[in-house]
Amino acid sequence: MKPLIASPWSARFDLLQSLSGLFLALFMWLHMAFVSSILWGEKAFWTVARFFEGYFFFGRSLPWLVSLFVACIAALIAVHALLALRKFPASWQQYRAFWEHRQRLAHLDTNLWPLQVATGFLMFFLASVHLYDLFIAPEQIGPYGSADLVWTGRTWPLLLLLLFCVEVHGLIGLYRLALKWGWPSFGDPQRTRRILRRLLWVLLVFFLAMGLLTLGTFISLGIEHAPRAGEPYVPSGMQEAL
Amino acid sequence: MKLLYTDVLIIGGGLAGLRTAIGVKRRGLDPLILSLVPPKRSHSVAAQGGMQASLGNCAKSEGDNEDIHFADTVRGSDWGCDQLVARMFTHMAPKAVRELAAWGVPWSRVRAGVHEAVIHGERVRIQALEGAQGLITARDFGGTKKWRTCYTADGTGHAMLYTLGDRAVAESIPVHDRREALALIHEGERCQGAIVRNLMTGELSAYLARATVIATGGYGHLYAVSTNAIINEGLGQAIALETGVAQLGNLEAVQFHPTAIVPAGILVTEGCRGDGGVLRDVDGYRFMPDYEPEKAELASRDVVSRRMVEHMRKGKGVKGRFGEHLWLDITVLGRAHIEKHLREVKEICQYFLGIDPAVDYIPVRPTQHYSMGGIRTDYRGESPTLRGLFACGEAACWDLHGFNRLGGNSVAETVVSGMLVSEYVADFCTSPEGDIQLSSALAREFLQREQAKLSRLLAATGEENPVALRQQMEHIMMERVGLFRNGAELQTAVDELRILLQRAENLGLRSRQPAANPELVLAYRLPKMLKIALGVALGALARTESRGAHFREDYPERNDRDWLKRTLYRWPESGEPQLDYEPLDVKQMELPPGFRGYGTKNIVEHPDTKARQAEVAQAQQRAPDRFALQEQLMPFRHLLPERYRKPNERLHEPLP
Amino acid sequence: MNRTLRFQIFRHHPLDPQSQPRLETYRLEESPGMTLFIALNLIRAEQAPDLNFDFVCRAGVCGSCAMLINGRPGLACRTLTASLPETITLLPLPNFELIADLSVNTGKWMRALSERLETWVHLNEEPDIDRLEAPMDADLAEQIYELDRCIECGCCLAACGTAQMRKDFVGAVGIHKIARFRADPRDCRDDAAYYEVIGDEDGVFGCMSLLGCQDFCPKNLSLQTQIAFIRRKLARQGWKKT
Repeated sequence: MKPLIASPWSARFDLLQSLSGLFLALFMWLHMAFVSSILWGEKAFWTVARFFEGYFFFGRSLPWLVSLFVACIAALIAVHALLALRKFPASWQQYRAFWEHRQRLAHLDTNLWPLQVATGFLMFFLASVHLYDLFIAPEQIGPYGSADLVWTGRTWPLLLLLLFCVEVHGLIGLYRLALKWGWPSFGDPQRTRRILRRLLWVLLVFFLAMGLLTLGTFISLGIEHAPRAGEPYVPSGMQEAL
Repeated sequence: MKLLYTDVLIIGGGLAGLRTAIGVKRRGLDPLILSLVPPKRSHSVAAQGGMQASLGNCAKSEGDNEDIHFADTVRGSDWGCDQLVARMFTHMAPKAVRELAAWGVPWSRVRAGVHEAVIHGERVRIQALEGAQGLITARDFGGTKKWRTCYTADGTGHAMLYTLGDRAVAESIPVHDRREALALIHEGERCQGAIVRNLMTGELSAYLARATVIATGGYGHLYAVSTNAIINEGLGQAIALETGVAQLGNLEAVQFHPTAIVPAGILVTEGCRGDGGVLRDVDGYRFMPDYEPEKAELASRDVVSRRMVEHMRKGKGVKGRFGEHLWLDITVLGRAHIEKHLREVKEICQYFLGIDPAVDYIPVRPTQHYSMGGIRTDYRGESPTLRGLFACGEAACWDLHGFNRLGGNSVAETVVSGMLVSEYVADFCTSPEGDIQLSSALAREFLQREQAKLSRLLAATGEENPVALRQQMEHIMMERVGLFRNGAELQTAVDELRILLQRAENLGLRSRQPAANPELVLAYRLPKMLKIALGVALGALARTESRGAHFREDYPERNDRDWLKRTLYRWPESGEPQLDYEPLDVKQMELPPGFRGYGTKNIVEHPDTKARQAEVAQAQQRAPDRFALQEQLMPFRHLLPERYRKPNERLHEPLP
Repeated sequence: MNRTLRFQIFRHHPLDPQSQPRLETYRLEESPGMTLFIALNLIRAEQAPDLNFDFVCRAGVCGSCAMLINGRPGLACRTLTASLPETITLLPLPNFELIADLSVNTGKWMRALSERLETWVHLNEEPDIDRLEAPMDADLAEQIYELDRCIECGCCLAACGTAQMRKDFVGAVGIHKIARFRADPRDCRDDAAYYEVIGDEDGVFGCMSLLGCQDFCPKNLSLQTQIAFIRRKLARQGWKKT
């Protein structure tokens, strides 16, 4: 064993990885809440989208605000990914050692990790595309604009895959965070884990269902709107104003 | 040839070896520990129940002191022990516990107020002593007048071994584990180290040392079923014996523990009975009070074991798939107590028997447990015949235990003897005597001899299978040299063991692997084990009396007149094994021979006993206090290393 | 009807140039109450006299006999064959230097760990052993004993995904030892000192909370809780250190 040189950055990196992960996971929950507003109707989604452009604060839309926010999230993902990279197998030997171990042990928590690595890895690409789309055309976010992007813009396969990645990665991440830091705790460790695991499955089903419904709604809206693709949505009350 | 030099070579990495190494190191010498296994895997780890030391902190040990501990130990030994050693030991035990307490052993502590305990199967309430809160508490063990056994739940040996193992690392003491000492290097009557085989690579080296300490534990696995770890094969005693110079003492004194599980032979601690558990027969009847009304299950181990077999012989045993047994009932203690204080017991029951001891009875029967005999040493731990060879712990016949050891005294002995012997070893090494010219020519000669033996074995194509021979030896020891002994059986055992020893010269090995090779290991250990087994049988055959754990059906009386003496077993280099005897001097005894109080009195008195009893009684009347009395009867303090001479503080005996 | 067990045992003698790592098959009639200790000794006595394995206490307290039993780490001495299927595969623990067959050098690894983490009570001063011992709260003593029960068998490392990839990772055994000494008021070290020995990627911050350790610890130590606890304490230490 080699001697240690203890740097405070070991602790800080560990905390930052956890905190960035926590923030991103919680953000994705909010994100789900916002995009699923389409389930309440086109007006609802339009309102949410305008809200983020500052429409209700400044009286007009400032889409660059969304771009700015997208850039921040992208940066945070980059930081999280960089920190998480430390844990990836660094060589073929390490990869193989882990894989053989996984196969021998047949142990749920161990198996969840490669899943997390794989989804995280995929998200490097999937999330980049998604974020890029939003970054360059924030003003298009709206019931029709987004639906057109999903269907006519043929991003729905990417979003479908991304949905699974985000939910699996995020929820396993949260589950592991709880175990890693010992909070929340429900009595003894075994019981805590049983409850956390159950929570993990329930939330996974819930968010996947929400996600699929939302994506489905956008797809059907996209199909419907395809002939008029590119036309933005204008709420009924505002048409007169125009 | 690989040669290593060290000041003190310590063979054995259990509690005794570790504490010796630490003591030697603190005296500025370089120790080196040699061990068959990593030190923390030593048999010491299996000691569950605890360590006796007369701290007197808990309510049921109020008023305890060295004198009472001493008397219990001497009575327990059936007057077979060296009383001087017992004195030094009981004086040191509190110091040892306190040292370990400071170094990290999490001894169980006294709780303030009233708490519940089970005594004689009944729940009683006990009020803690004033001012004792947080001090080290104790539990009840067999054969003791006071609750004196300090413990950490039922992992005392583990906690102690880990603390000392870690301490040895802290003090940078080198440990060469997975190494076996094959032979001692000696020139005439001076020991100079050992020839050592690396069990991983098969390589032999010579370790030269100014002093050599053997701390290898007992010889339980000469028996087919033993509570001992499987590494306790008497190898330390054997290499001493094979010098032809060193003597082994009282090999026939072999203890059988009342409660090992059937059939695995794994021990469940005396703490089970100490904490209130009882023994039951086939009818669920608690039989021990019928035999021993006063101490019942907590009579001395030899007594309980014999009573159990006696009871089974009356047809009261439980007939099971693996022979007869009795029941140990700890359900009375309640689940909470078992899960907190007897957890190892619970795990053993769960894994090896598939039962829950909070609900079910545990099947037990007496099983080989401890070797009182070993390498004969003086009170300094040195062999009287082979200078520079020391021994301590179970490997030695320092002679703390005589013919029966009290529960909790062996764990205490390991550490106490380590503390003391390390000082004497250091004294020896720094004296002119310790200053010798270590001879590499001598080392080479011994190494070549051992190498030749191994080469011969590796090429051996004889007809005998070492596994089969070993099984026969184990069987002979179980059947003929067990708990109840008689002349005819012992004679047969001696004859059969001699034949086995001859047959062991004609071994055939199937594997020719010179490195890690268990068949080779067994092959070269087998004659060593047989020599020790023969010593046990010879000693038992010759000793025509019953004393402590040595019980002769044909000689049931304790015969102080003819047998108040220690058996010495020696095997000269060319020739036959010899038995000699070393008398115990009644005139020097602080506690003259008496009746232990079990069963009916059946003693042939020693001619000096009466006179000495009178002397002692007279002294008792004159002496102003217990210290003065002790000093007058058997002075011992001057023999202790100076740093350990001060008295022990107690709640009721504060130091100025 | 007794089963005939089929043992597939890893055989290899690294010092023998002719030896190749392989699985060899041995058949053995099962008997009531048979443990792997009994079975392996029978195989050695009757079929493979040169088969290497380690047992010492054969009662589950010394930690010598850990091996992979059908892929999962456990103490062979107290594993009943009745709890296993007819085919039993035995492999040596993967994390340690192989001596031969099922025998690995755990002792060397644990000694190195002990030296590196300084797993002993660091004393302020030597005690006066003639005097009454320093009092300690009875509950605290029990709590320390609870933390002292590790038997250094190596199962936690064999069950640890991180340890498979990073040979210098101290594993649950190391982190738990720090928890043991940290709980002990006799040890005069503070968190800064503990951080020095375990505050890095090979220490507590290397743990990915896959919890094989928790699930395969033969002594049922609360490794999950203790690792989380040490992580919190040392993260705080690292965070505030300038």
